[in-house]
Amino acid sequence: MKKRTRKGRVLLLGLVLLSYACKTPPAPSEAADAEALEQALWRAGASVFSPENYDLYKDGLKTAKENLAREKAKFGWFRNYDPIRSEFRDLLKKGTDLLQAIQNKKAIKSKALEEQSLSLKSRVERLKDMTLYFNESGAVRKNLSQAEIKLTQADLLIGKEQFEPVGDILQGCRLYVKQAEEAIASLLDRYLDKDQLEKWKRWADETIAESQKRAAVAILVNKLERKLILYRKGDVVASYDIGLGRFGLSDKLYSGDEATPEGRYQVIKKIPSSPFYKALLINYPNEEDKKAFALAKKNGQVPFQVGIGGSIEIHGGGKDSLTKGCVGLEDGDMDDVYRLAVVGTPVTIVGALSVENSILAEIKAFEKK
Amino acid sequence: MKGLTKNLVLVLAIALVLAACKQPTQQINEAQAVIDEIAKASADKYAAAEFKTLGDDMKAAQDEIAVQDKKFFKKFGTAKEMLAKVKTDAEALKAALPGKIEAAKNAAIAIQTEAKTAIDEAKALLEKAPKGKGTKKDIEALQADLAGAETAFAEIQTALDAKDYLGAADKAKSVKEKAVAVADQVKAAIEKKKK
Repeated sequence: MKKRTRKGRVLLLGLVLLSYACKTPPAPSEAADAEALEQALWRAGASVFSPENYDLYKDGLKTAKENLAREKAKFGWFRNYDPIRSEFRDLLKKGTDLLQAIQNKKAIKSKALEEQSLSLKSRVERLKDMTLYFNESGAVRKNLSQAEIKLTQADLLIGKEQFEPVGDILQGCRLYVKQAEEAIASLLDRYLDKDQLEKWKRWADETIAESQKRAAVAILVNKLERKLILYRKGDVVASYDIGLGRFGLSDKLYSGDEATPEGRYQVIKKIPSSPFYKALLINYPNEEDKKAFALAKKNGQVPFQVGIGGSIEIHGGGKDSLTKGCVGLEDGDMDDVYRLAVVGTPVTIVGALSVENSILAEIKAFEKK
Repeated sequence: MKGLTKNLVLVLAIALVLAACKQPTQQINEAQAVIDEIAKASADKYAAAEFKTLGDDMKAAQDEIAVQDKKFFKKFGTAKEMLAKVKTDAEALKAALPGKIEAAKNAAIAIQTEAKTAIDEAKALLEKAPKGKGTKKDIEALQADLAGAETAFAEIQTALDAKDYLGAADKAKSVKEKAVAVADQVKAAIEKKKK
């Protein structure tokens, strides 16, 4: 009985020893982390942003997995996961660094594209302001609207980190912006013409000199600056903001062109009660206008059966409403001008007096781009 | 007679061993064919994660084949199992892909409709907006803005026709945003006129 108990104890001890010897170390948890990191790298766009390093990571992962499988295939007593764990840890370190590098690359790319987008947005905004200033609401404004849509689309893609198509979209946007800039620049081409500017300057100087000589009131309208300047005895009495027609920056040539004439005119009638508050009718067309119209008609620049037009006024009704070629003033300002002007008061309308004004500087800047 | 039977058994055994050692070329080709088919159907765009997993699994199967190929006693059993799974998964994705594409298409069409509604609303507002002192210039500018949105709207259909549903959705969102902005500005101009 005693012998049997002893045998049992030896057997039990043997079993305990065997079970301890058969106990195998756990497989490294880093293996699953390395797999998850591979997915994270793929989602981060590793194949696009760092394809070579991503391939190296995948190769490393494959080798580590094979080594792990080989180790697992060994009999429990002989398994040693330490080198495999170390291999996975190295891999995880490399993968984490790679992920960080990709995120940095993406951040740089994203920032660069956002900057391009912002720069275009600022150009679009400036051009939109100019379209309002010049009453250019046609093709230019439409181009700018399309440019804005492209910019929104680009921003959406940048937000989704889908950078590849953004370059083309921004290029499309640039084309619209360029077309708008060219259209505005062409509208203002003649404002950069030196001879033209000298002629306008001469008209203005003569008008001021006349006001001084006759000790009378004279009116000078500067279309580009959108100003009406009132002179008395050669001195500036007041300056008012004005509104022009849709094509106010062009020189009037014929009826219905919605352009504002340029030249030396006079007030020929004071209208105390007009549909536009009060008005001063000027003697458009003058002799020069008639000559220009005849020449344009001869050259086929005027639509068939269209006359030279007339009824050009300085009137109230507001500076921000679109006129058909007249000069619009706020009612309060019109009161001042109306009170001081008399029939015969000289009214000189010029395009611009200086190339140094801010609008022309912007146009010049466009041309350099 | 006894000798002949022995030889036959030996030949049969060798044939069986050789057959077992042969690469599962047909299975590789079959799995790859399905993957190629769904790749052509833009699986990388509309089921990117599933397509990536398929590619990974196919690569793992090919790696396993390469490993066995280097051995003297080749065992392609595991590789065959892996390839069978790849083929099954690829066929499942092939079946699911049209649904995913259809969903993307429907989503793009839904946003296209929203963009159209936004354009129509802005147009209606512009038509009834008072074009008088202080608003005429703004309203005319907004009309031109909306004309730009309408032109861009046509590009959505072009993208849809080219089966670029994700691109079409982004275009539609951008057009809608512009049309809504125009409508808001028209409302502001109307308010300005009322004051």
